Amino acid sequence: MNRKMLAVVLTGVMVSSLVPAFTAYADDTRTVAMICDSSISDGGWGMACYNAMVAAAEKTGWETMYSDSIAQSAYYDTIVSYCDLGVDMIYAPGNQYTDAVLQAAEEYPEIAFALLNGGVDTPEKAANGNVSSLLPDATQIGWIAGALAGLMSESGTIAFIGGMELDTTLAKYAGYGEAAAYVAEQNGKSVTLLDPVYSGDFSASDKGIEFAKAMIDQGADVFFGDASAVDSGARQAIDEANEANGSITIYDIAQPTDLLGQNACVIGSQVTDNAVLIELSMKAVEEGNFGGETLFGTLQNGVLSAGELNTEIVPEEVQTAYADYIKQMEEGTFMQ
Amino acid sequence: MGSFTANLILASIRMASPLIFLSLAELYSQRAGLVNIGIEGIAAIGSLTGFLISLISGRPFVGVFAGALAGIAVNMIFAFATITLCAEQIVYGMAINIFAPALAAFIYRVYFGSGSELVQAGLMGTLKSMLGIKSNHFLVNLFLDQTPMVYLAYALVILTAVYFSRTKSGLNYKAVGEYPKAAATLGINVIGVKYLSCVICGALAGIGGAYLTTCYSKTYVDGNVAGRGFIALAAVIFGRWSPGGVLAACLFFGFCDALQIRLQLINNTLPYQFFQMIPYVATIVVLAIIGAKKAGPRSSGQPYRREER
Repeated sequence: MNRKMLAVVLTGVMVSSLVPAFTAYADDTRTVAMICDSSISDGGWGMACYNAMVAAAEKTGWETMYSDSIAQSAYYDTIVSYCDLGVDMIYAPGNQYTDAVLQAAEEYPEIAFALLNGGVDTPEKAANGNVSSLLPDATQIGWIAGALAGLMSESGTIAFIGGMELDTTLAKYAGYGEAAAYVAEQNGKSVTLLDPVYSGDFSASDKGIEFAKAMIDQGADVFFGDASAVDSGARQAIDEANEANGSITIYDIAQPTDLLGQNACVIGSQVTDNAVLIELSMKAVEEGNFGGETLFGTLQNGVLSAGELNTEIVPEEVQTAYADYIKQMEEGTFMQ
Repeated sequence: MGSFTANLILASIRMASPLIFLSLAELYSQRAGLVNIGIEGIAAIGSLTGFLISLISGRPFVGVFAGALAGIAVNMIFAFATITLCAEQIVYGMAINIFAPALAAFIYRVYFGSGSELVQAGLMGTLKSMLGIKSNHFLVNLFLDQTPMVYLAYALVILTAVYFSRTKSGLNYKAVGEYPKAAATLGINVIGVKYLSCVICGALAGIGGAYLTTCYSKTYVDGNVAGRGFIALAAVIFGRWSPGGVLAACLFFGFCDALQIRLQLINNTLPYQFFQMIPYVATIVVLAIIGAKKAGPRSSGQPYRREER
């Protein structure tokens, strides 16, 4: 009897949970759905991408939906679920969703797919021309962090923590290293970037702690990362090391939003305003000309920028020098 | 001792500590004949509860206690379904693994809002910091730079070993997992012991989860248990269902994880995925060797029906 009652109750709950799915999007409001493998409250990538979508939607009057912390095996299924609900645009913030997006885009030609950090050639691969890449310049992102690292490193060793070995992550790593080496050399120093390490996912903050501890043991004194919540773990380990030393001598450069003040070790941030790119995509959908192109985000068009510096830690002369380097990047003369 | 080895050992201890709580949780469950594969989910709810209560109260100890209570509450679903309703244990364990992390994510989202900044709570202090010791000697860090929860984990291993092998109550407990009908004929309350095992299992798994957010990482992130609940299952088998064996297994898994992190740093020729495989390859190899001879409770995974002959 107990089992029958339990089964009836559970069935009732399941059926009632389906009701909103069939009723919520019956009106004419346009809808964008975001999928994300990290949490939208991770204080890093997921949070920035979600907030960018919400900001763009507020300007354009769209409604938003999201699924976060989804497993790699669920990328495609989650996208298709939203397609079946009749959303107007799928927003996938990461290179890792490329295969799932291309497959779903082929099956749902009437839906727009905006792939943040997608490859330049990805839109061409879409059979129905309904995919666009939104591509913040990963090399410039690396430069913004690398120039600051080159100026601030005292030990001559800097570090980078990645989540997965994505093309954009590799480009950020390369840009970070070359900018740091260039800036350090110009200031009479030498900087070595440790080999990149990867946590394998974007939510293992404990891995960030362990990576940072290991890299501090190797002498790293400036950190940059592309691993979402893993970066927050690294910042915790850096703060602990600084506390043990009695002063802040190991630093972190955050991304992709301005995280100054979140941790004592954060000396600056690389900021990416993805909202601009998403808004452009939404307008393209409304005008019926979405797809088949790559929308670039650069320092020049204002999508990328350097966040505020921690003026209590970063010396005034470094602030001035850094501002000069950022200006060179904007003008296209950096490292020329 | 070189700094590489010293730091590797310290990292192994750090990474093994939550595993010890989770593995003991599974051990208590299996010793009473209940295979609970829902440890991962229970730890997730324990992790969130520990974080929230620690944040609100400002006291990580209270967070750990709350994590234990939350773990018990969630595990009572498993207990009712598998003990009272005699449902399939694996199915309900998996249901817990799906339900509990989703519930944790939902509560976090409701409490902090979508797209919120990463909230950080204070961590439990270590004995070294409580005593005001400044030395960074390896032995000082190994034995004193640990939170009280680490000492509790090792104390529980000893207590569990004594309980299962030296006390009448512990032998009765094991009898329930071995042959419950015989245990019942001796006057042992089989159902009561099974429910007790679920209380202990839920509490320990909840504490293991809460450890992650009150002693290890200042933040709660969805998925922060990161498969430890499943490694705990392997650790119990690897440890031959004995507390000492389980401890050795947890230290081994902690060592493998710490090793792969450090090997990534010193080797730039092999792909990083190769090193990330180490803990899992080690698990497969060890289980293939150790698991050949079954030593678990005989009625493990089987429902107990009092009236059945």
